[in-house]
Amino acid sequence: MVRVGIPRALSYYQYYPGWKVFFEALGAETVVSPQTNKAIFTAGNSRAVAETCLPVKLFFGHVISLVDKCDYMFIPALRSLGRKAYYCSKFIGLPDMTRALVPGCPPILDPEIDLNKGRRSLYHAIYNLGRHFSSDKSKIKKALEQAERAHLAYRREMSGKGITPIQALDEMHRDEDNSYLEPEISPSLSVAVIGHQYVIYEDYINHRLISRLQAMGFRVFTPEMAEQEALDIAMTNLGGAPHWSFEADIIGAGEHYLEAKVNGIISVAVFGCGPDSMMIDMVRHRASELKTPFLHLSLDEHTSEGGLVTRLEAFLDMVKRRKRVCE
Amino acid sequence: MRIGIPHCGNAYIIAEALVQKIGNGESELIIPPPTSQRTLDLGVKYSPVEACLPFKLTLGNLIEACELGADTLIHARGTGVCRLGYYVKEQEQIIRDLGYNAHFLTLDVSQHRFSSIMRLMKDLINNVPWPKIISALHFAMEKLFALDKMEKVVHKVRAIELEKGRANQIYREAVKAIGEAKTAKEVKNTTKEYIKKLDQMPRDPTADPVKVSIVGEVFVVLDPFANMDIEMELGKLGVEVERTMSLSRWVKYRLFLNYLGVNEWKEVHEAAMPYLKRDVGGDGWESVGEKVLYAREGYDGMVHLAPFTCMPEIVAQNIIPSTKEDIPVLTVLYDEQMARPGMITRLEAFVDLLKFRRRRRRK
Repeated sequence: MVRVGIPRALSYYQYYPGWKVFFEALGAETVVSPQTNKAIFTAGNSRAVAETCLPVKLFFGHVISLVDKCDYMFIPALRSLGRKAYYCSKFIGLPDMTRALVPGCPPILDPEIDLNKGRRSLYHAIYNLGRHFSSDKSKIKKALEQAERAHLAYRREMSGKGITPIQALDEMHRDEDNSYLEPEISPSLSVAVIGHQYVIYEDYINHRLISRLQAMGFRVFTPEMAEQEALDIAMTNLGGAPHWSFEADIIGAGEHYLEAKVNGIISVAVFGCGPDSMMIDMVRHRASELKTPFLHLSLDEHTSEGGLVTRLEAFLDMVKRRKRVCE
Repeated sequence: MRIGIPHCGNAYIIAEALVQKIGNGESELIIPPPTSQRTLDLGVKYSPVEACLPFKLTLGNLIEACELGADTLIHARGTGVCRLGYYVKEQEQIIRDLGYNAHFLTLDVSQHRFSSIMRLMKDLINNVPWPKIISALHFAMEKLFALDKMEKVVHKVRAIELEKGRANQIYREAVKAIGEAKTAKEVKNTTKEYIKKLDQMPRDPTADPVKVSIVGEVFVVLDPFANMDIEMELGKLGVEVERTMSLSRWVKYRLFLNYLGVNEWKEVHEAAMPYLKRDVGGDGWESVGEKVLYAREGYDGMVHLAPFTCMPEIVAQNIIPSTKEDIPVLTVLYDEQMARPGMITRLEAFVDLLKFRRRRRRK
């Protein structure tokens, strides 16, 4: 069986279920890299130039960890996932950067996804991708349809049950027990964590932020726990037509949860993130208008756990006190 | 209407020329003071911390224009992958928060450029006959070409002049004279006169300048304040500078000829193909392609300029070392923390390396 390597980084958190279904329908097997660990981090960090942002460095580390475990490496070049809305340059340059930085990499499958050019261009890219596995056009089409359904089901699962991608992915692998256990006591305080999936769910970068918040007794909301439509509406209300394809996850989620009156907003970004440097400010502005506590965490490879925890504790103490005073 | 514009190198001269030719007294052009430390400080103070240097500098310019009473601000907007697409959205809010009542007019520079420039012209100047607009554009372009021609000459002369700094002085005078010229003919004559002056300067007969190309992100490449006069500093070190990117080329193609299907970068893109297959926004693709071409042409080295955290240029930076066509590349990243002596030290070390390589090759 042909093995397709999928690095557990960047767009993995958003699209893995769809990809898995697509490749399996075409008779291939997907191999996912392990959870980020020190070796992956060091390998990625040593290849890329220093200015590259941390998630992209980790991505290279994941690619390196997969090099001799697969026949193809799947690295889509994401340019645009909506009309006039774009991805960051680094996503588009990923396949070529990987070629330059990881010389031993297996052949890279790099369909260019550009929905700005319309769905035809998407179908074209997918057919070209599918041809590596099957010459049967209808089989590829069917695989794509199955993949789309799987992706939508995954998205609905998260918004319906209010769970994170990590929980949803875990559940996919655990067939016998389909129910996600709700915590028995529902916490009285809530915070929304906004940011890119590959930052807020990558425990190696954020030092287990979400489970830490839950352990501190907070109900945590993340962008995936809201429905896509709700995020899109909130995004348009606050920022107008989007310029980035992931604007809904940051501006949209920020506005959505601000309107839902959470007790605090924590935005998490990595140092040097171009799109975030502009978007976060818009949410910060809105939060100060609504007088909602707002904490921005800028993380990089040097961020220490201790410093992060201190800042979190101070912020959460403030959120708690505000709640007491307001009541 | 009082129109304010941000600076980018000599770009203000085009705006001035346009207004001079079509100005009808209703609207006034406010050119903010030349970019200075104060401009940068203002920009840094009010921008998001991690915004890139062009954002901070242009914001500083626009604030200074507002201080002089501008009520309409013109800014470029990219509709591609780079942050430029977000500039106007963000700067509008910042300027509103500062209490200025100004609205933005945008010039799209990545897609639909032609219709955008026409719309912008219409917003700014209604009831001016088209022939007049076209002749004004022509006049402005004339100035731009003259300036870039001067630049090309001075890049060569700086490296071999006997009296260091003299060429730069003449160049400054030329920029001023071209800016003040009233007719196309005057522009032509002034340019000729100054080029002659440069040509007649005493030269060092023993000079053997190394040839270095400059590539990178368009704003820091074209704006001498942003790049800390890197071309002049290289000239002082006896380096002949070459760059493909220039304001006239950018305006000519980006705003007009691209619309007709001409791609001025075709050769560069083809050269980049084996290493970077697609446009990554900004000027990243071009940076990779130009390295390949300059290496083939036998240049001694290349200086790659980018604002700190510039996404397209980071992609280029990651790919540039892996090309088969090999020349030494120095990447210089600019932000508000950067100091000129630091840059000069790096340039000196780089130029020494190039000279050493050249000596070894000739042996």
